[in-house]
Formats: sequence, C-alpha cells, structure tokens
Amino acid sequence: MTFPTFLNPWYAAAAAAATIPPLILLYFLKLRRREMPVSSTILWKKAIVDLQVNAPFQKLRRNLLLILQLLLLILLLLALSRPIISYAKGAGRSTVILIDRSASMAAKDGLEGKGTRLDEAKARAKSLVDTLDRSAQAMVIAFDDSAETVQPFTADTVSLKNAIDSIKQTDRKSRLKLAYQLAEAQTNFNPDQLRSIGPRPDVRVYSDGRVLDATDLSIHADVTYEKIGSDKSANIGIVALSARRNYERPTEVQVFARLANFGPDPTTADVQLTVDGAIQPHIGTVSLLPERWDDQQRKEAEAKGQLPRDGVEFTLDLSTAAVVRVEQMNKTGDVLAADDFAQVTVPPPKDLSVLLVTTGADPFMQHAFDSLGLQKVTTMSPSDYEQKKPAVGDFDVIVFDAVKPGYLPDSGNFVDVGVVPDHLKIHAAMKNGKMEVNPDIVGVLDWKRDHTIFRDVNMHKVASSNVMKLEVAPEDEILADSTYGPLVVLHREGLQTHLVIAFDMLDSTWPTPYAGSAFPLFWYNAMKFLALGSDIDIHQSNEPGATPRIPRMILEHAARGAKSIKLIDPTGHASVIPIPAAGDFALPALDHVGIYTTDPALGPFEHIAVNLLDPVESNVLPAEKAPGGIGETTASGPIKARLELWWWLTACAALPLLMIEWWVYTRRVHM
Amino acid sequence: MTIAAPKSSALIDPQFMSRLDQLDILSRKLLAGKLKGERRSKRRGQSVEFADYRNYTVGDDLRFIDWNIYARLDKLFLKLFLEEEDLSLYILLDTSASTNYGQPNKSLYIKQVAAALAYIGLVNYNRVTLAAMADGIVAESGALRGKRRVAQMIDWISKLQPSGPSLFAESCKRFALSNRNKGVCVVLSDFFDKGGFENGLRYLAGGRYDLFCVQTLCPQEIDPDLQGDLKLRDIEDDDMAEVSITQPLIKKYKANLNAYCLSLKEYLSRRGGTYLFSSTTVPFDTLVLNYLRERGLLG
Repeated sequence: MTFPTFLNPWYAAAAAAATIPPLILLYFLKLRRREMPVSSTILWKKAIVDLQVNAPFQKLRRNLLLILQLLLLILLLLALSRPIISYAKGAGRSTVILIDRSASMAAKDGLEGKGTRLDEAKARAKSLVDTLDRSAQAMVIAFDDSAETVQPFTADTVSLKNAIDSIKQTDRKSRLKLAYQLAEAQTNFNPDQLRSIGPRPDVRVYSDGRVLDATDLSIHADVTYEKIGSDKSANIGIVALSARRNYERPTEVQVFARLANFGPDPTTADVQLTVDGAIQPHIGTVSLLPERWDDQQRKEAEAKGQLPRDGVEFTLDLSTAAVVRVEQMNKTGDVLAADDFAQVTVPPPKDLSVLLVTTGADPFMQHAFDSLGLQKVTTMSPSDYEQKKPAVGDFDVIVFDAVKPGYLPDSGNFVDVGVVPDHLKIHAAMKNGKMEVNPDIVGVLDWKRDHTIFRDVNMHKVASSNVMKLEVAPEDEILADSTYGPLVVLHREGLQTHLVIAFDMLDSTWPTPYAGSAFPLFWYNAMKFLALGSDIDIHQSNEPGATPRIPRMILEHAARGAKSIKLIDPTGHASVIPIPAAGDFALPALDHVGIYTTDPALGPFEHIAVNLLDPVESNVLPAEKAPGGIGETTASGPIKARLELWWWLTACAALPLLMIEWWVYTRRVHM
Repeated sequence: MTIAAPKSSALIDPQFMSRLDQLDILSRKLLAGKLKGERRSKRRGQSVEFADYRNYTVGDDLRFIDWNIYARLDKLFLKLFLEEEDLSLYILLDTSASTNYGQPNKSLYIKQVAAALAYIGLVNYNRVTLAAMADGIVAESGALRGKRRVAQMIDWISKLQPSGPSLFAESCKRFALSNRNKGVCVVLSDFFDKGGFENGLRYLAGGRYDLFCVQTLCPQEIDPDLQGDLKLRDIEDDDMAEVSITQPLIKKYKANLNAYCLSLKEYLSRRGGTYLFSSTTVPFDTLVLNYLRERGLLG
C-alpha cells in the first residue's frame, strides 16, 4: 500500500483557485456587522483585548465558521482530485502494456475460473490504467506470433481501456520478441539520433509466460511479468497429427496423433476420429503422465504400472478427399478447447499422368519414372508428340528430355531437360548465332534446400559438362546455381510452369550412383510439386496465423477469371477475398483453429485445416519466471489495484464537518 | 436606545418631596459654612442644642457657664452647644452623551437623583451648587439656598440635555477650581471615561469635599443582551468596536465591568469617599430614601 496519489490534481487545483478566494470573500462580506450604539466601548474593547491576550487562538475561534467552511471545501476539493491508495505498484510515467492474445490465453482459468486468461489480462491491465497519473502515458500492444500496436502512447485512460477491450482472442502461437521490439522502438529509440532517449519505460507483460522465443528476448526496459493463469489447471492437448496416404495403396490413409497432458495429475483420454463430420467407430485411448513431471516422477509412476501411452494411430480407407478430425474426449477440467481437436485435409488419391518426350537415348529417365510407381507414364518420340499435339489437361506433367518442342499446350507443367522451348522469356544465351555451351565440367554451387523440389535431395556430388548458359527473367526462381550460371530454374509464364534444367542428364553425374539418391528423389518431388502445387505436405494442416499461398494455376483451374473468392472461417462467417489480376495470391491470416473453406472450391485448398498442434501453447502451466528471465514476476490472481478515497472523504469527513458547522452556527446565533 | 429628555414635572413629584422634607444632608467632615444655617454642625457653636461641657478658661463667654454645676461642684464648666451653620452641597451631574442611553434612561435617573438631593439641600438651607459636566463644566447653577429656590433648581435641571463627549478629568478640575468652599460633593455619573476616572476624582477626593460617587448604569450595560456579529458604536465619540458576541466575551465584559466598579469603589474608599452603585432599574426614590441614608449621605 502506498501513500495516496491524486488522479485529478489539476482539476482540484483549478477548482480551489476558483472557489476558495470567493468563499473567503463571501465570508468577509457576510461579516458586515450590524451597527449597535452603546454608551461606551471602553469595556468592550478591554474585554476583546483580554480575550485575545488570554486565548492565543481566539482569532481562530472567532473565525471558526470560516475555518470549518474552508475545511469542508478543502475536503470536497480533495475528493475532486480523486485521491487513491494503490495496493499494487502503479504505472510509471511511460508504460507499455503488452497483452498476450495467443491460443493459450483462451484457457478458462482466468478471473478465478470466471473467464479466460485474456479476460483476466484485460481486467488487470485496466486496473493498471486506473493507476496512471495525469502526467503518465501508456500504450497497448497485443501480441501472439505477431505484434500489433492497439493504442499508441496516450494519457487518455478511456482510450486505453477501449483499446484493451478491443483485443480479440486468436489461436496463434506466442512470440514475444516482435512485441518487445515494437515496444522498444516506440519508447526508447530515437531514429534521428540512433540512440536511446528518455527514461527506461515500464513494460507490463500480461501473459501466461509460454512463448516460443523465450531465449531470443532482449529489451531495454523495466519489465514486469504479470503471471496469468492457475498452476492447477488441467489440459489435454493434441500436439501432433498427420494423415498420409499409403503410397502403394493410395486409398489407405494412416492417421497418427500424439497427445500430451499438461495438468497436474496423470490421466487417460479417449480419442475419437471423425471423417467429413461422420464419427468413425475407431476409438483410441491414451494414458498420459503430466508433462510437468520430471524423469524421477515418471520412473516412479511407471514402476507402479502407470505406463504412458501418448500416441494413437488409425487406418482408414478413403477413396476421395476428406477432412479427418481427431478429438480427445476427456473434457473434465480441461481449460483449453483449441487443442482438444485437430483436423487434416487428406488430398484425393492422385494418379499422376506424365508424358515423357524422349528420343530414347537416355535410359536413366525412363528408369527413374518407372521407379516412381506412377500409374500412368506415357512415352512419346518427338515426332509423335508434334503430330499428336496433346491438349491441355491430357497430362499433368510433360517432360522434354533433350528434345526441343515445337508445340506447347497453352497451359500445363513442363520439365525441360537440356533444352529451353522457344518463345519463352527464359532462353539460352547465344554467341555467334550458336547456343552458348560450356564444355567444361560444372559443379553445383548451391541449391534451395528448403524448396519442395529439393527436399532431401543432396546435389553436392552433381556435376555436368555441356551446360547451357541460361538467361533468366527477373521473376524466375533459381533453384540450383553454379559458377557458370543457373542450373535449375522454375519459370512461370502465362498458364505454363517450366522447370528448366540447363544440362542433359547424359552429360551429368546426377543419374549415377555417385550422386546417391538425388536423382529419383528429385523427380519424385518435382512430379508432386508440379502436379499438386507448392507444399504438398504442409497444406494438410496449417498453424494458426498462416497465410496459405494459392498458386495461380490452381485458381485458374478452379475459377478462371474470378475476381474474388469467399473464405468461410470455422465459425461459418464468410469474407470476400479479392484476387489480384496476375500471379499467385495469399489468403489472409487464418487466426482460428478449425476448417476454413474456399468458395469456389480451390482444388487442394477447398478445405484448409488450421491446428494448434503446439506443445508450448497447449502447456497451460503458467511460467513462474518472466519470459527469457527478463523482468520480475508479480503475483497472479485478480487484485483490486487501488482504493478510491473520495467517497470516504466525502462521507466520513465532509458530512460530519458540515454537521459541526451547522451546530457552531446555530450555537452562535442563539448565544 | 436614546429616549427623549425628561419633562421637568417628571423629575420629582410633590409626594416624594414631602418625604424628602424630613431628610438632611450629612457630612462626615467638619465643614465650615459661611452663614448660619439650619444644619447642626459638628462645630460647637451657639445653637440651642447642648453638645458638651468643658472647663472654663479665661476669656470664655460667661453666658455659657453652667451655674448649676458651679453651685454643686464649685467648679466652672462651660456649656457647649452645637453650632448651626449652613452646608455647601455640590452636585455634579454627568450630562455627556453616554448618559443618554439605556432603558430606563440613565440621564433621567441622574437628573431625578440630583433633583432629590438638591431639594433636600435647599429645604435644609444648605448652599446647593449644581454643575453639569460633559467635556467640561457645561452648566453651573450657582449657589442656591432656601426652599424658594426649589423651582429654579428643578427648572435648571430639566433644561439639561445630554450631549457631547465625556472629559471627566477636565470637568472635575474646572469644578474644583471654581468651588473652593468645603462641602459635600455628590458626583452622579456612569464614570465611563476613556481617560479614566482617577484623574478626575483626584481633584475632588481627599480634599475639601466630602465625596459621594453614585455610579449609575442601565441594565443594558450591566447585562448586555446582544448577539451576532456587531459593530458597537460609542455614542459619545463614534468609536467603533467590532465584536462577535460569544459567551466568553459576554462573561469577560461582565467581569471587566465588575472590576471597573470595584476599582472605583476602592479608589474612593482609600481617599475617604463613598461609592454607591445603582442600576436605573432601582427606583430612584428607593435609592434616595434607603441607599443614600444607609451610606450616610442623608440623615
């Protein structure tokens, strides 16, 4: 408890300046005395002098009414200045309020079980705003895995409270670094002088402390971590889920789910499987030990026969695309609903149809495609190809193996090995009317290891001679590079996608065992990528906040010429997404867990699953220490931050004073 | 609070006069009169009233030898008789503005007492001198003697109008300088003088005069019935005193008044004077017939 502070001192001062002098003036005006003739004033004057001499405070006593009135006025002015007694440490002169709105803040153990953690965070933040002095200012930042300034610095407490109230729950993960950077940028950093200015701000973090980037944090401020949430809350969460088609039996889908218990006690839970809304008879059961237990406790439990089983596996037969949902059914005491279920979209069993246009000189290609196990691989000679002229949609991918095509369908996916078709923006460099080719052996300098096409592909031992010098367009994506120039380029033009390889396989080490498994893996990835679009695995499930990128091709296939699509979120609310005139486009951030649906259906993006699947967010045990060990931790639980004293001043002091004044007045009148 | 000046007929009524006829002015001092009067003086003289004997000495008037004693004792004794002589009675009336106050009015009361005393003096063939004092001796009747002067005396008193400030010391000085004969001096006043009563009484007390001071106050002065925040105006000099009437103030005023009266009484006692306090609520005939007799002024 601190000394009383005043929220409105200047109002009171202004009111005092306006009222006290008139009161005194009025008092003196009131003191215009009635004239009364007497025979002599000699004795009266002596009496007055005697009284004044004998009673030093006689003057005060004589002005008792004025003093009482002044006291009453001062009390009312004090009340007007809104004195408060703060129980908690109040806000500083410059305070940044950081409110965690991530998925874990939806746990229903805030406000002593009467609300969510976000509700409690808001309540406590608003209590802090109440302690703001008039000269102090604060700003509000909401963060999950992004950070947003909800209210820039202001001294207006109403705006601050409105801003706090406007923060909405998301199901995204927590990352504090961005929020800290935002706070620091707005408080300390003077961009003109490239140095910190002003005092260190107070930073209040209202969070459960479960952030992903705790080890990366740093901030130049006095951080107070307001721990939100209860240590005793229970939560069983699905932390991993995958559904894959058996490569050999495409209609068979294997679903794996892993669950974790973040409560204080061991528990079991049934896991239910739903396919496209239909509950399946499969029921899995997990037996979970608390994650907070250490190894010793786990061993003791296992010794007692409590064997943990945290994974379930289901096998389904799905001949179409479907949304597979897994839900844990033990909801007793479970405070967080967002991780109780997870779903994935399982793509339809896809049989790629590939056309290989080859002269037959390269046996490696044929072998490679045979080994991929594709249902339909057609081989054509160049002359057959030019004669048959396959239409758009006849084949998913057409591979030109060292054959320069004269005809190309308007749209489609092409792999150009050792050649570049004419009339494209990408072309081979020409020198003296001839294609520029490097006869020397050229090794791979670098490749995009994170690109789907090169996933798990090691290009280290790939080298080739007779490499074409490619002149690429600026928007082209160079996937593999060499000292001589680009080796593998992803080129998009109109409705065509070309994967251009600058050398012939016969001239390279790529298909040889020397390069290991790089050759078949590359073709597997390339076929999947070209046929299905980007991120063939990840699109099964997205993390909250993801902004899936939809390739133009898929859009053109689904709704040619569409200017906008509708995106329906898990609650059924539809929003219209405008589509740019050209290029791929991204969906807005998918903030909530569940299934988003596109209308019209965008092929593999018809159903987009968003899942929490994050052990950090599902962990409802609030962190004891501030994230990253920066700052001090304050007690949790809703507290009344302050007591306003004005009512007490008015009721307990001013009222009796008024009564005393009345008594004194009447006593004097009747004396 | 001021009231109209009293009419002459209201000063003293015939019935009261007849009661006063039996009284005379007494003096505790041997006061030499100029003329023989009707007053039995303590001086031995030639009246018919026996006073004492003394041994005969050569040169004594043989007519006063008590021959009967001589026949029995063979010694010569002289019979002494009380001297009958006149007495100077000085009556000083305070006619300053401060006396024109109160209910009953102090001025009227003072005039009535003065008239009664003067009447007694005149009836007993004393030389009565009346003087009105305010900021000096504003009027003096001159020496009056004999019952025939009663009407003149009453007329003179009736014409007095209270006005002007009180300069008690100056008045007393003037009076003492102009009236050097011994006699009984009665001062009728409220003795409220900002210069103090001591300077004035210094001229009157302890000397030629057998001094009687009658302090006359009205009930409004003795027990003021005031309330609220007041500006008290002195009706003599318009001096202002701002007071907020409180119980302690009233108490203090009364204590001061009491102390003031006591100091006057003590001052007079030490100088052989007589102090008499009277409220105007006490009927003036009671004052004259009872109180003044008790104090030995009248007998």
